[in-house]
Amino acid sequence: MTQAAVPDIRARVGEVLLKNPVMSASGTFGYGLEFTPFYDISLLGAIIVKGLSLEPTAGNAPPRIVETSAGMLNAIGLQNIGVERFVAEVAPRLADAGAAYAANIYGRTIEEYESVARRLSGVPSLIAIELNASCPNVKEGGIAFGSTPEGLYGLTRRVRAATGKPLWVKLSPNVGDIGAVARAAEEAGADAVTLINTIVGMAVDHRKRKPVLSNVTGGLSGPAIKPVALRMVWEACRSVKIPVIGIGGIQSAEDALEFLLVGAAAVQVGTANFRNPNACVEIVEGIRNFFIREKIARVDDYRGRLVL
Amino acid sequence: MPINRPRFVHGKILHNAGGGIFYRMEVALPDRIEFAPGQFAMVSGWPGNDPLLPRPLAIFRARGARGKGTVEFVYKVAGRGTALLSGLHEGDPIAATLPLGRGFEFGGEERTYWLLGGGVGFSTVFPAAVFLEQERSEFEMFLGARTRDQLPPRDWIPGGGLPGRVHPCTDDGTAGFFGTVTDAVRDRLDRLKTPERRRLMILACGPREMLRSVSSLALPLGIPVQASLENHMACGFGVCWGCVTEVREEGKTSYRRVCKEGPVFDAREVVW
Repeated sequence: MTQAAVPDIRARVGEVLLKNPVMSASGTFGYGLEFTPFYDISLLGAIIVKGLSLEPTAGNAPPRIVETSAGMLNAIGLQNIGVERFVAEVAPRLADAGAAYAANIYGRTIEEYESVARRLSGVPSLIAIELNASCPNVKEGGIAFGSTPEGLYGLTRRVRAATGKPLWVKLSPNVGDIGAVARAAEEAGADAVTLINTIVGMAVDHRKRKPVLSNVTGGLSGPAIKPVALRMVWEACRSVKIPVIGIGGIQSAEDALEFLLVGAAAVQVGTANFRNPNACVEIVEGIRNFFIREKIARVDDYRGRLVL
Repeated sequence: MPINRPRFVHGKILHNAGGGIFYRMEVALPDRIEFAPGQFAMVSGWPGNDPLLPRPLAIFRARGARGKGTVEFVYKVAGRGTALLSGLHEGDPIAATLPLGRGFEFGGEERTYWLLGGGVGFSTVFPAAVFLEQERSEFEMFLGARTRDQLPPRDWIPGGGLPGRVHPCTDDGTAGFFGTVTDAVRDRLDRLKTPERRRLMILACGPREMLRSVSSLALPLGIPVQASLENHMACGFGVCWGCVTEVREEGKTSYRRVCKEGPVFDAREVVW
């Protein structure tokens, strides 16, 4: 028997080759630099920075988060520093840190989405743009575009025309037919789809007789949503030819491997970063160790090999 | 390397025992912690995914040498997470991200500090007392509780609670001053002369209503107030943006993170 070589855990998302299949999810990783006290952020497949808009955004009034069973609801409202400040102050520091990073973007109108995408197109170190067509917490967060195949097709097409950067479209799970929505993104020219964003939920204080979140509803994330995410990623992988980036409730390398097995080209880790700031790098290590143990040479020898 | 900027560490419980309505937990860590009074940690340790998130706890005390340290937390059982923490035993694992946030600021010549702790808020101001004692700065403490049994245990009070320096306050008058911390502060301020008032600086942690009422009492008299706020947090280190509070700066308001720009805020900026 031959000795297992060091496995190649690089992951390909269209034309983008990632160091490994683990990315940090937008909205759970700040602008990336916040994690530099914890570890070398260049170790990640990629960092997806917090959703950027054309102008700085104040976000929703508190309370913005509430813990639920094996998960949490959030309604942050896309508070962010705006694309200009990101390009001027953050992007160079991410590049200096050697981090691969993509920007999640959103707009109140299609024109704003286009403007943000254009502004980012000139940032050489940016590896991709992730179109947020699925934030459930602000009307303008793209959900208006992202909840139907027609709406998503229109938005994606316009942003596609506005940028030469690889375009990943983040999909909402709050739809009837995820395959149809994924196909709409593909037909409009997306290079990949990311799913799932949070599931719309609600928490109520029965004594005060009030919703817990000021926004009334919020997005559910964490282990509670993993089975739903896994099913949707599996369906999307069977519906489109472009790469699917799997996200939803991943806490461990085992969780990440399950997403790869149903066909995801790479994964994103979100809420787990809150509990353990080292979650992403620990998952990278866990995948590597699993490949070594199981003598798997490369990601494609495992990915999509679900036995039905 | 001492742990003096945020790190995620695993430790083991040395003690975890009740004192009145509070618990005090000491955890062995892989290194010594350096922290500023008012800084906190995100703490978890129970197995499984539910509850999912760690709990923010003030760093109460830290000791140790190179390569070996301990940290102590004081908490009150307030929900599922702290109930689970209270059930952990010696030898059980703990995970913590620490030290986090911006603590109290000291400085300024000839200050007299008044440290205000309402409820479990004493766990945030006691480290400030320890620091001030080392610095030989003047300070007094006001500790508030609903009733006698809910005051911090006397042997937890730095310096043992010298009379005249520590003012317990109870809502029901069963111990110390009959009334709230704010009432006691008002009472004490009335008996101070202007030059003495000028030297005062208030550091406070407790229920939001206490922080608000103390601020509205002290700020108009020109007495600065540093208020340590509390909030639900998901991450504790500035990336989830879930714990914000509204602040006013140059006439405009915005949301700042309690975990990052706080938990200690200049009370003038907070929109109460």
